Amino acid sequence: MILRTAEKIGLSLEVDDKLLNELVIIGKEHYPNEFGGFLVGNYRDDNRHLHITNMILPKSFMASKYSFERSTKGIKNELDKYYNETPKKFYVGEWHTHPDNRAIPSLTDISAINTIIQNHSACLVNPVLLIIGFPRTQVDLGFYVWFENKLYKYEQS
Amino acid sequence: MDKSLHLETVIRTHQITKEKQLLEKHIQKKNEVKEALQENFGCNIYSPFNSGSYAKNTAINTKFDFDLVSPFKRNAFGSNGTLKEMYEAVYDFLFDKYKIEAEVKKQKVSIGLEFYPDSVGDRIKIDVVPGREFNQDQYKDDENLNLYVYYKYGNFAADSERIKTNVQMQINNIKDRADKEKDSIRKIIRLLKVWKNTKYNYPTKSFFIELITIKAIDNSDITGKLWDKLKTVLEYIRDHVNNEGFTLKDPGNSSNDLADTLTDNDKQQLANDMKNMLERIEENDENIKTYFPENPKFKEEDKNKNKYGTNGGMPIPPPKLNFGLEK
Repeated sequence: MILRTAEKIGLSLEVDDKLLNELVIIGKEHYPNEFGGFLVGNYRDDNRHLHITNMILPKSFMASKYSFERSTKGIKNELDKYYNETPKKFYVGEWHTHPDNRAIPSLTDISAINTIIQNHSACLVNPVLLIIGFPRTQVDLGFYVWFENKLYKYEQS
Repeated sequence: MDKSLHLETVIRTHQITKEKQLLEKHIQKKNEVKEALQENFGCNIYSPFNSGSYAKNTAINTKFDFDLVSPFKRNAFGSNGTLKEMYEAVYDFLFDKYKIEAEVKKQKVSIGLEFYPDSVGDRIKIDVVPGREFNQDQYKDDENLNLYVYYKYGNFAADSERIKTNVQMQINNIKDRADKEKDSIRKIIRLLKVWKNTKYNYPTKSFFIELITIKAIDNSDITGKLWDKLKTVLEYIRDHVNNEGFTLKDPGNSSNDLADTLTDNDKQQLANDMKNMLERIEENDENIKTYFPENPKFKEEDKNKNKYGTNGGMPIPPPKLNFGLEK
């Protein structure tokens, strides 16, 4: 699936359907609680295109129907492994679910994005956020990118 | 850089339709003033009409001027009534009606109404241009008008208090050419107006710019992309405006020469400005942005510049992060 930011910033994102299906299945397994994890990938085309290639599941987390808190305990080896590949793959953002709700970022989600960009180790200027909403029996996917102090939604290209 | 691409962007950011609300306010106020004039002067006035750049399709959104030409009957102010009496009567009426909400000013051939800023800071400016037909009931046949020329310190030469013209013919002449030659005449007129707006109180009138652009295009080989066409017009102005015998005939009356609206010094200044502009742009393409800037209010983001970024090194996620719907 290739997505582009609908508004005028012109950045694109690509994620393999297989990976996306895997995330949806894992999210459903944790329903009715929220769940999430780390997104891994790399930038191409002069840093204008993001390819999300992999994900890392948290080893330590707390979840309820309305909240999800994950930690980075135990994922360092996986991050190193991806970073040592050619081409390098690295942490590009986060994903989580919204059980019985649409894939629209909450204020807590936006403050999480702020935490990423203010964290020196994260090094990310434009973290991406994938929300998998499960309103009723549907699956609602929302991809967002933080760009110049604003969250932009990607749309299907 | 692609200079023509930049110029196209400049035109796009200056499109009058981008200022829809302000345009609507001008149209509404213009209609209101028109109705007030018709109500007050009754059967002594023909239907006032808009003659500004909006009517000619050469307007830009950083300068909204609506000119409301108000054609009066020959005997509207008595069979011996003068043009001065017409001008003063229109001024008195507009002053009485709008003095609370606008600054009402006597101008060269018009009465300026500058409405005070509204709740969102928008200012509406309408110039009412009183004109009188040559002979009783002749206007509907020939559309010719005598305009009164107001000089702050009095009229100083015989016959200097009137301009005979045909405003409708002026509008049609420019509008027809600008509509037919959108990619040259209309665009270049708009660009030159953008340039003029970068200067404070520049003596060259918009009508002068419209006519000299058409003359340059009629007398030059205009080909290539937008920058090539604009460059040809700039070169024509540089090389001709200051020449002895250079004329710009008013399409509404060939006896009027718009070149006379500039002094010799003004013409020299205009020629020098064209020369400097061409040289600076020749030296460095980027200088074109100084002379022909985008309207910052509608500036288009250069999406080609945007990139994903990292601050170097391997990105590590923050140790603890909360997401959720906060029920």
